[in-house]
Amino acid sequence: MSDTAIEVNQVSRSFGAKVAVNQVTLQVRRGECFGLIGPNGAGKTTFFSMLCGFLKPTSGTVRVLGADPRVPGALKGKLGVLPQDAALPGGLSVGRLLTYWASLSGLAPADRHAREAVEKVGLMDAWNVDARSLSHGMAKRIGLAQAFMGGAAVVLLDEPTAGLDPRSAAHVRSLIREVKAHATVVVSSHNLQELEELCDSAAILDRGRLAQAGTLAELTARSAEFRVELLGPAPLAQVQALEGVTGASMAGQQLVVLFDSRRRAPEEMITATLELLIRQGVKILGVTRGKKLEERVLELT
Amino acid sequence: MEGIREIGVIWQGELRRALRSPRTLVLVLLYCFFAALVLIAVSFMVSSATSTLNTNLGGQGVPEEGQAQVALEAKAALLKWLFGDDVNLVEALSRIPVVIPLVFKITLFFLPAYAALMGFDQISGEIEPRSIRYLAVRARRSSILFGKFAAQATVLVSLILLVDTLIFATARVLNPEFEFSLLLPTLLRFWVAAFVFSTAYVALTSLCSALFSLPAVSLIFNLIALFGLWMLDAVGGWIASWARLQGQEEPFLANLRWLSPTAYSNALLHPEFGVFGRGLVAYVLFSAVFLAAGYLVLRRRDV
Repeated sequence: MSDTAIEVNQVSRSFGAKVAVNQVTLQVRRGECFGLIGPNGAGKTTFFSMLCGFLKPTSGTVRVLGADPRVPGALKGKLGVLPQDAALPGGLSVGRLLTYWASLSGLAPADRHAREAVEKVGLMDAWNVDARSLSHGMAKRIGLAQAFMGGAAVVLLDEPTAGLDPRSAAHVRSLIREVKAHATVVVSSHNLQELEELCDSAAILDRGRLAQAGTLAELTARSAEFRVELLGPAPLAQVQALEGVTGASMAGQQLVVLFDSRRRAPEEMITATLELLIRQGVKILGVTRGKKLEERVLELT
Repeated sequence: MEGIREIGVIWQGELRRALRSPRTLVLVLLYCFFAALVLIAVSFMVSSATSTLNTNLGGQGVPEEGQAQVALEAKAALLKWLFGDDVNLVEALSRIPVVIPLVFKITLFFLPAYAALMGFDQISGEIEPRSIRYLAVRARRSSILFGKFAAQATVLVSLILLVDTLIFATARVLNPEFEFSLLLPTLLRFWVAAFVFSTAYVALTSLCSALFSLPAVSLIFNLIALFGLWMLDAVGGWIASWARLQGQEEPFLANLRWLSPTAYSNALLHPEFGVFGRGLVAYVLFSAVFLAAGYLVLRRRDV
């Protein structure tokens, strides 16, 4: 069995003259939680829709668990999807709708799977409510319930917490953490803090192109940079003189230290810097490793 | 096998949705009212025309046997006007109360438009709000199309069978001489004809619904397609009749009518098995072509 869950090779998708996704190549390893990041119009949802087989690539290939998602039945029961902006169909209660979908996915007994999924998202009260009459937040949670139903090997979530109140969003994040223990998860989101919290790796898309992809540590330069929030000025020259430091500067109240992790391990580098600052009587408010993902995204897009 | 199971699950789910849909209920009621109205009006007209004819003929001193003969000839002329020149068909239909073929023909004429109104958004209505994505990730697109088609066809065919039964029951009440030995096989034949006829038009509706992502556009296109098919039959039929009247051979353009399912509807009521079989095959082929085209469109399209 291959170590790769998703393999995308030179994929492009155009809508008329507009190129929404342009020559993107990336891989997602099995068991990984992978983030899709980018500003509005970056092509995230188009890319996501090609992974699900909803859209056909103009060129290039997409393989999910080794199969082309456009091939009929190739990923049946292996893929859980929360599509963005897909309305729940009306005419059926939440319970009947999820039982219908569970049955269609080949889950038996369908009713039990549907109940477990609805219980998981805490919406048993809505079991007999018509799916069309749910509020946006409740519909989103039912959308998540159907994506998680049956324990698919790959779960694709497009904006899973958009429009949710903070408590519901936190609940959804904890559900994603549970799911990622036994599945490959791809999350597309604008909420970078959320992705930083959940994901092992990510790809940053900008105007349809892949700006950068890698582990979160690579993207945020966690092994080559740290920041110390200070009260007052920092002794920059002395910090720069420390072994392994390749650069030091002030950004507002933050001391930004760049270092070569091959010469000195990050924990040693941080400890040495803090010891120096304490010796110099500098007041320290906090330490963060790497850049904020948000800063990295802003740099790249 | 998995594909067939999927079709079954989608058929069940969509049938449940259709039966809970206010639109379906309203349309079913409307069709029942329409059929009942046509039935009452036609029964009244037939009864008053027969009575007026008998009174006039009686006044002219025509004996009862003569009156019955004239009534039979009038009935045959009416059936010939409605169902064409086929002597065997007209003769077979003459044996049953005239209200049956009359009401059947009128209700069947409006059936394609009714099928369009009921099912125009079966696919497009799910593409526009993207709810089809929840199905597309679980089932083959062929299963989605055939499952939804089967659900629509079930609702429509059940309704038609019910209406046909109502027509036959009324005819039996109005004509006690219409014996069960003739009624039952005729009802079965009309059921088969209605089933085959309506299935082809539900398939056309499925194709139109798969073609567009906006339900309103699907409906408009469906109605245009129905009008186009009706025109093909009408124009082709008119050219053929005109050529016959002139004693000429049918020109090639007269064959246009065979591109429309409507052209085969009379064959479905024909007493000869060969003619009926040709009609049946034609409708099955139309259904297959419409569904295959719908599948190709849905298979290739983005959802």
